Amino acid sequence: MRVGGQVLSLGRGTMVRLDDIWRGIVVALAYYVAARIALVVGTLPGTSFAPFWPPNIVLLCALVFAPPARWWVFLLAAFLAHAAFEWQIGADAPQLSLAFFANSLVAGVNALAVRRLIRRPPWFGSLRKTSIYVAAAGFVAPAIGALAGGFVPILGGSGMADYPLFWAQWYAANALAGITLGPLALILVSEGMRPFKPAPPALQVEAAVLALVLAAVCAAVFNVHDARGANALAAVLLYAPLPIVIWAAERFGVKGASAAIFAVATVLVWRTLQGPPLFAAGTPEGNVLAVQVLLVGLTVPVLLLGSSIDETRSAERSTRESEVRMASAAASANIGLWHYDIASDAFWGSEACRALFGFPRDAPFARELFLAAIHPGDRATVTQAFRIALRSGQSIAIEFRVGSGEGDARWIQVRGQAHCDEAEVPVRVSGVFIDVTARKAAEAEAELQRRELAHLTRVSMLGELSGTLAHELHQPLTAILSNAQAAQNMIAAGRINVADVRDALADIVQEGHRAGEVIHRLRKLLRKDEGRVEPVELGELVRSTLRLLHGELVSRNVKVKIQLADRLPQPLGDPVQLQQVLLNLMMNAMEAMSAVPADRRVLTVRSRPADRGIELTVADRGRGIPAGDQSTIFQPFYSTKEHGLGLGLSICSTIVKTHGGELVLTNNREGGATAIMRLPAPAAQVEVQDDPDRRGQEVLGLSR
Amino acid sequence: MTQTDEDKKFSVFLVDDDAGVLRALSRLVRTAGYDVVAFDSPQAFLDRHDPAVPGCAIFDLAMPGIDGLQLQAALLEKGVARAVIFVTGKGEIPDSVRAIQNGAIDFLTKPVDAQGLLRAIRRAHERDAHVRATREEMDALHALVEKLTPREYEVLTHVIAGRLNKQIAGDLGTVEKTIKVHRGRMMDKMGVRSVAELVRLADKVGIQPYRPVCTDTLISLKVNSTLGASAK
Repeated sequence: MRVGGQVLSLGRGTMVRLDDIWRGIVVALAYYVAARIALVVGTLPGTSFAPFWPPNIVLLCALVFAPPARWWVFLLAAFLAHAAFEWQIGADAPQLSLAFFANSLVAGVNALAVRRLIRRPPWFGSLRKTSIYVAAAGFVAPAIGALAGGFVPILGGSGMADYPLFWAQWYAANALAGITLGPLALILVSEGMRPFKPAPPALQVEAAVLALVLAAVCAAVFNVHDARGANALAAVLLYAPLPIVIWAAERFGVKGASAAIFAVATVLVWRTLQGPPLFAAGTPEGNVLAVQVLLVGLTVPVLLLGSSIDETRSAERSTRESEVRMASAAASANIGLWHYDIASDAFWGSEACRALFGFPRDAPFARELFLAAIHPGDRATVTQAFRIALRSGQSIAIEFRVGSGEGDARWIQVRGQAHCDEAEVPVRVSGVFIDVTARKAAEAEAELQRRELAHLTRVSMLGELSGTLAHELHQPLTAILSNAQAAQNMIAAGRINVADVRDALADIVQEGHRAGEVIHRLRKLLRKDEGRVEPVELGELVRSTLRLLHGELVSRNVKVKIQLADRLPQPLGDPVQLQQVLLNLMMNAMEAMSAVPADRRVLTVRSRPADRGIELTVADRGRGIPAGDQSTIFQPFYSTKEHGLGLGLSICSTIVKTHGGELVLTNNREGGATAIMRLPAPAAQVEVQDDPDRRGQEVLGLSR
Repeated sequence: MTQTDEDKKFSVFLVDDDAGVLRALSRLVRTAGYDVVAFDSPQAFLDRHDPAVPGCAIFDLAMPGIDGLQLQAALLEKGVARAVIFVTGKGEIPDSVRAIQNGAIDFLTKPVDAQGLLRAIRRAHERDAHVRATREEMDALHALVEKLTPREYEVLTHVIAGRLNKQIAGDLGTVEKTIKVHRGRMMDKMGVRSVAELVRLADKVGIQPYRPVCTDTLISLKVNSTLGASAK
């Protein structure tokens, strides 16, 4: 507490702050007033002993809120007040000092317990804290203090034989004050240190009504009891304020409980000391002790009840706050929170969910509405994902469209997790909806550009091959033309052999088909693909690509070896894009072998089943990949060729990746390089035969 | 496209690795009246082709293993003077230049037009006939020259040099009468009546007239002229 900062020196290094002096004065005054109040409430007949002793609570508050190094200030202040008070009522110095020592012991032990074990306010915020306080203030501290306090009457001349009674009186007086006034005082002082926040008017009214009712009940009950004397219902009537006290605890927590308890305790003690006996104990001391025991018995459970209510409320409040925080964070990130309760079949979605699905703000987020909003094409997928999550507890992570799907469709990602009960049975699914429309649009845009680029590189590759391709077309055209002119010759010669003409025409038809196929293959490659996905027969793809490259293979004098596994699983993909990859790999292989002797120019194409898919390799016996190029070879615009754009392998790699596979290039041990394309494929319906004898093997190139 | 007896004897050797094209070209050439021998690979042609048969060859340029140009070179290396026509699907200028430099008749691009092809075949036929006729005549002349004795051959070179019998006798160190006998036999063997005719024949065969130089020249001249004749 360095606020104020003014410091007085009291010599010998002891420092006292100006603040502390003011606080000391306040504590002294409060102590004195509390002692006076104790006197008003009443003392035991014939002694100055007050069975309800509030000044200790003043000291307790001072010690709890002051650091132990400053305790001496408040102890001194309290002692002065104590001495002044006791002096007035005629106590002598030894008695007065011992009494103060006993009181300080109670307050000190209690304050230490609060500071060490509860540490910081709210002092009664949880059942645990209140239990600690009750144990300290209601039992341990007064019991210890009473060990000293019991000697005060003996100092005053009483016999040692009564020490247990004196101990009990001291104990009860301090314990009663500790648990009835202590909580209220501590709460008020700690709240008084915070800015005042007025309670809602309704609550204020309720508090006032409660206080009135409590006062009325107290007055009525004790007076009724008084009027009828020791009646059979006495004990029961003593508990009449209990419902009101519980009401206070229920509505106002530990604060209400302690205030009500304090009121009841004060009235009851006052009534016991001032009025006719409530109990049939015989002696006033016995009566007072009975009241004290009654009050302690009443207070402890009510305080615990109040604090557990506070604890529950604050837990609820923090849950609510965290929910609000989460919802607002989720809403600002455009994330909708949802959960589905299996037992009640109830579907709940946050405000943001309604916005995501385009529901009105006040519409309930019902399951039917949710399902109806999903694009018809995705509905089954979503239902299936939820069903799996509910059945097996798996998490949900899918994306689906919302809306009719014509232009205005939004993409929503749903993530969810099933929550299980103790028996591992899913009881609840909860998760988030995230609007991923923008990401989807960007992905679609990127995909479109990738396809454009793939198409462009395909066209440029075919440009490189134009000579060869023209040759491929010229072959059947030559055959057609020659056959037709031969037939003309036959007719012109006038000696028509029908069989000869038929043969010529048959050849024309066959060659016509052949030319058509060449054009068909070209058209397929030149076409802009729409990203079709279909099962791809790899063997056919390899053979068709080799037919396309036939002229190039012949003119480059490259032999081709094909080893294709039978009945391979068919990867799903775009045949045109995959053919582009093959074409590129084969052209690279041919290019790589242009400098090696003709008898070494062998291109080997192999296919075989691989882990959950297929593997297709294109191997050459060329110069291999230069050592430093391994990492850069797939980068765009990197080329080892003189006229290469450097896009081929980069595009190939991208294409294979979008098919969920990978493209790897390695150097062969015996020279040359091998490109390995791995593609995932659904398991083949027929068991794959890996018997080498059953593998198709063809040699292409020299014979046709 | 009528067929003549001469055409009948002329064969066209077709080499193409494309079965469809080979069949079609064979049919076209056959219906135009030529004998056709088709080979589906260059190696088959090299193995089975008979250079003695009159005719021409049509090579596809791009073939696996041995391409058309290599095939032409292989023929030249073997000393086979076969008229060659190229057909190609690509038609690249460097290839066509090389082909023509090596004596190809024509370099046709696919799809080949029948007229162009047959025109090329006719040109090949003409050249083949000419080459063959020239060679026959030369062969006959050489045969005549071969029959001469060394002395008669010496006399011949002197006669075509325009020298008189008396001069020749002087050059060869003999009498005029002996020269007269040699000369008469020589003229008989060569089948000529006049010196003018002899000079024409000698020129065709490439026999150089005598020049009064050292005698070594005479022998070397004879060797050269013989080689030159067979190479033509």
